[in-house]
Amino acid sequence: MSTYEILRVRVTAKDAETLRALLREARPDVGGRPRQGDDGSFSIEAYVTPEQTAALEREGVSLTTLDEDAAATGRERQAEVGEGDRFAPEDAVPHGLALKVTDA
Amino acid sequence: MSYLNITEVESAVTSLAAVFPTAELIELPEPSVEGRAAHALRIGTAERGANDAVVLIGGVHAREWGSCEILVELAADLLEAHRDGTGLTYGGTSFTSAHVRSILDELDVVVFPLVNPDGRHYSQTVEPMWRKNRNPANSGGDPARIGVDINRNYDFLFDFQTAFHPAAGPRVSTDAGDLVYQGPSPFSEPETRNVRWLLDDFPRTRWFVDVHSYSEDMLTIWGDDDNQSAEPPKNFRNTDFDGKRGLAGDQLYAEYLRQADADDAGVLAEEFCSGLKAVRGRGYTPMTAFHLYPTSGTSHDYAYARHIVDTDKGKIHGFTVEWGKSFHPPWSEMEKIILDVDAGLVAFCLKALTL
Ligand SMILES: [Zn+2]
Repeated sequence: MSTYEILRVRVTAKDAETLRALLREARPDVGGRPRQGDDGSFSIEAYVTPEQTAALEREGVSLTTLDEDAAATGRERQAEVGEGDRFAPEDAVPHGLALKVTDA
Repeated sequence: MSYLNITEVESAVTSLAAVFPTAELIELPEPSVEGRAAHALRIGTAERGANDAVVLIGGVHAREWGSCEILVELAADLLEAHRDGTGLTYGGTSFTSAHVRSILDELDVVVFPLVNPDGRHYSQTVEPMWRKNRNPANSGGDPARIGVDINRNYDFLFDFQTAFHPAAGPRVSTDAGDLVYQGPSPFSEPETRNVRWLLDDFPRTRWFVDVHSYSEDMLTIWGDDDNQSAEPPKNFRNTDFDGKRGLAGDQLYAEYLRQADADDAGVLAEEFCSGLKAVRGRGYTPMTAFHLYPTSGTSHDYAYARHIVDTDKGKIHGFTVEWGKSFHPPWSEMEKIILDVDAGLVAFCLKALTL
């Protein structure tokens, strides 16, 4: 289990060049893809330690915290991973999540 | 229900192959770095290789857990509906039994749900945010420098420092400590070589989809620059344009793509998104992969580039799905995303049959 702290933040830069420069220089771990705002701003989500947030803070950039402890959230999800092998029994097979529907 | 562990992804695949005569188990030639075997399924009623193939891969990036389940459940849906002569309903999106039959009768659907088992295992049991494989070869013994980004390890503009403009800021790295470390050479990783082998082993592959998260997009090529269809010399093989690639909205360079291929890719991406949207209203965006910064060594660009580099190879339209809005949503949310994406993929296959 990991014990360090990771913040999930939304990084919003006033324009494309500012975000590009930030990504190039600070090289944060990012999630998702860049989004363009109606006002010409560009944003992306990043996963950073509290120390790394300092490297993101700069002129023309704002940070919004989305998850104060993304590592803890990840550990919660690890509890939602199967144990053993649910398909070990001879007749066990995945069934898919769609409804199997006879044609009308 | 819950997320599948790596044993379960494997046993899901082998159990489907054991139960359904229309599913053939394919053992990939290379074990992972930590020695785990990998398997794919070919789904189809015809002889292997008699039909065009769509190759679907997932579990490349370790932390994007749901990609494996998306592909396992898709395979299970198609196989069971075909055997029982039913259609498939994903929320507001429905397919008839004739639709299901046409997919199995007219395509080889090749599903490889877990490309990177070592990484998934590490992400599910140790570090949830792990992305790369677990190769220690380039780490110098430093645990923080383990792993290669498999989706930067394909042979497409691998020498990115030569290919791109100095200001392009490509999201790829030669530093083993970086999250997007490309590895020492193209196809240095067994996981990447397995994907290449699958494309080689199905020479009639015409469509390739790499399932990732996240951003709710359906990405088409190219990832190295904007697309254009007017100037064929501006292409990834032309060294005259080294040092000029990767800037957005500039006149220096944009990657050539035949108009007809751009149109076909757009049609398929749109079809995926509309099949998906009808499930419960999620709006995924069809778009080219290049946005803000370029990438190199990715699967979808490599898949399409193959037929240009080697004219003996068939043309493959490459796509990347970016599902959802986080790497590992609660399982209850992931189940909804699986329905969304599987409906999109069925719609994609049906449209592919018409092209
Ligand atoms: Zn990914």
